[in-house]
Amino acid sequence: MAPPEQALWFELMQFYIREAWLLDERKFREWLDLFTDDVLYFMPRRKNVPRREAHREITPLGDLALLEEDKRYLEMRVARLDSGMAWAEDPPSRTRHLVGNLLVQPLDGGLIQAKTAFLVYRSHLETDQQLFAGCREDVLRPVDGAWRIARRTIVLDQNVLLDKNLSIFL
Amino acid sequence: MGAATKYAIIDPGTGKIDRRIFSDQAIYDEEMEKIFSRAWLMIGHESLVPDVDDYFHTYMGEDPVILTRDRDRRLHALLNMCRHRGNRVVRCDDGNARRFMCTYHGWTYANDGALEHVPGESEAYYDALHRASLGLIEARVDMYAGIVFATWAVDAPSLEAYLGDARWYLDTLFNRRGCGTQALGPMKWMEPVNWKTMVDNCSDNYHVPTSHISSAGVQSKYLGRPRLSHKDQFESPNRHVFVNGHSLTFREVSDDTPRYVHGVSTETAPLFQAYHEATLPEVEGRLGAFRAHRVQLGNHSLFPNGVLGFRLALPRGPQRTEFWHFVLVEKDAPEAIKRVIRIGSQANNGAAGMFEQDDVDNWRQVTMASASRLGRRHAQDLSMGVGHAGTHPDYPGLVSERYISENNQRLFYQRWEQFMNAERWTDIPLDPMTARFEGTATLHG
Repeated sequence: MAPPEQALWFELMQFYIREAWLLDERKFREWLDLFTDDVLYFMPRRKNVPRREAHREITPLGDLALLEEDKRYLEMRVARLDSGMAWAEDPPSRTRHLVGNLLVQPLDGGLIQAKTAFLVYRSHLETDQQLFAGCREDVLRPVDGAWRIARRTIVLDQNVLLDKNLSIFL
Repeated sequence: MGAATKYAIIDPGTGKIDRRIFSDQAIYDEEMEKIFSRAWLMIGHESLVPDVDDYFHTYMGEDPVILTRDRDRRLHALLNMCRHRGNRVVRCDDGNARRFMCTYHGWTYANDGALEHVPGESEAYYDALHRASLGLIEARVDMYAGIVFATWAVDAPSLEAYLGDARWYLDTLFNRRGCGTQALGPMKWMEPVNWKTMVDNCSDNYHVPTSHISSAGVQSKYLGRPRLSHKDQFESPNRHVFVNGHSLTFREVSDDTPRYVHGVSTETAPLFQAYHEATLPEVEGRLGAFRAHRVQLGNHSLFPNGVLGFRLALPRGPQRTEFWHFVLVEKDAPEAIKRVIRIGSQANNGAAGMFEQDDVDNWRQVTMASASRLGRRHAQDLSMGVGHAGTHPDYPGLVSERYISENNQRLFYQRWEQFMNAERWTDIPLDPMTARFEGTATLHG
């Protein structure tokens, strides 16, 4: 039998693979269910700072972020897509989420910190395309026997975001 | 052909616009010279450089500029270009530094722009280098309510004259309180759009019920926000006004009108109302009773490239614009208010903003149409409301009869012509200032 750490790693890797497929197959309602009701979905800005001031590179919570959302705002984003009139995503983007490099760190209180790296390809309309790279740092909490994301911090590897908008979920 | 008639790109009577101005490289190059090298440009905010030796890296059009605060607390806008070969002397977004060293040969500048040190000044240059004339190129700087503006033009009028009566309206958002505002940001992203479309869209309330129907719909359902239907917009008592190239929309409000701004929802409305009531005596003292009680600024743009609040459309070629999104919050506002404004701002506007993300493909296809040889044969049509604007007894500037109008857009492109056809600043007309600035608020806060 696999040691418990290995079983947990395997379980979480499956969790993230399933999430990637939900996003790429545009099953956003099911994707929303992966988050706790009190989730903080956070994408800070990434600044150019001197190496010795690396602590300032990622903007803290409380500063302006690319995204600082609760569950209701995420639900609004999904409801918008379902309206058929969210023009940034209608016709929709073609996305491919590749998620890996999973590091698992148990936290107090039955929580788990899970850090992953991602490459997300986005193709939109005829010829628009963009490759996003970055990492996600999640705090997972068990809810009714399943892992749920209680906090997600997405750190993008860009200073000036090179895409025309951020209308997809990373 | 005389210089004064070089550009006649809009027919004010029909609103027909020559599309080449959105895609032609030669016209774009001339814009950088005739508009961005001489207009007063928003470049930063005093709160981005609060302490001595702080700096913030910004742009004037395409040109990189360092906004610094020197040891005497004076602000400088310095071209980020070493006078030797042209390397940038700053590569970070912000920080604190007394000096900037060029990483090519080590020429080192003080944060007031003076060239302080040149390696080998005696040995290699034989003390023949005229250091005093080789400081960083400096722009004129002034501030409005904490927002820093700069211009390269020595013959530009004062910032006060440049803003003119637009400030009468701007004060109701930017200059309400003595504590001043604090800038958060910027969020930066690249849009494949000509900069002018993003600016003229600030007065385009016509697009809202169509472009933003999905966002207005879900926000109505989830947050209790207005639906912003066509009917709402056509019947709106809100107005457009135009001063010196600045396009403003404003609302006639009463004291119990919810001050609808980003972050307002059914739940947070009482918080905003309580804040409004608590600050009203102060605002009345600063802006006078009429503006404090009756006037609320809506969407607006400042000529040339200030877009809806303290946000910048930075030109990056005829078909590319780098967009900078900041949020301003009043310094002494309760943390709860600052928080919901910050969150509401990124949820609505910004790269991921539910409203703003639906604008981009519309704008970019407007830009692309103007690059098409066939498309260019057919003018853009900005004829809405021709002849339905004029002066108003209560409101300074040129006021449209209705909220849904293309009057401001037509005037924006006429202002563009005035800049593009002018040989010098004195050729560019300024509207006379007629507004009564009641209250104690000034240009500087």
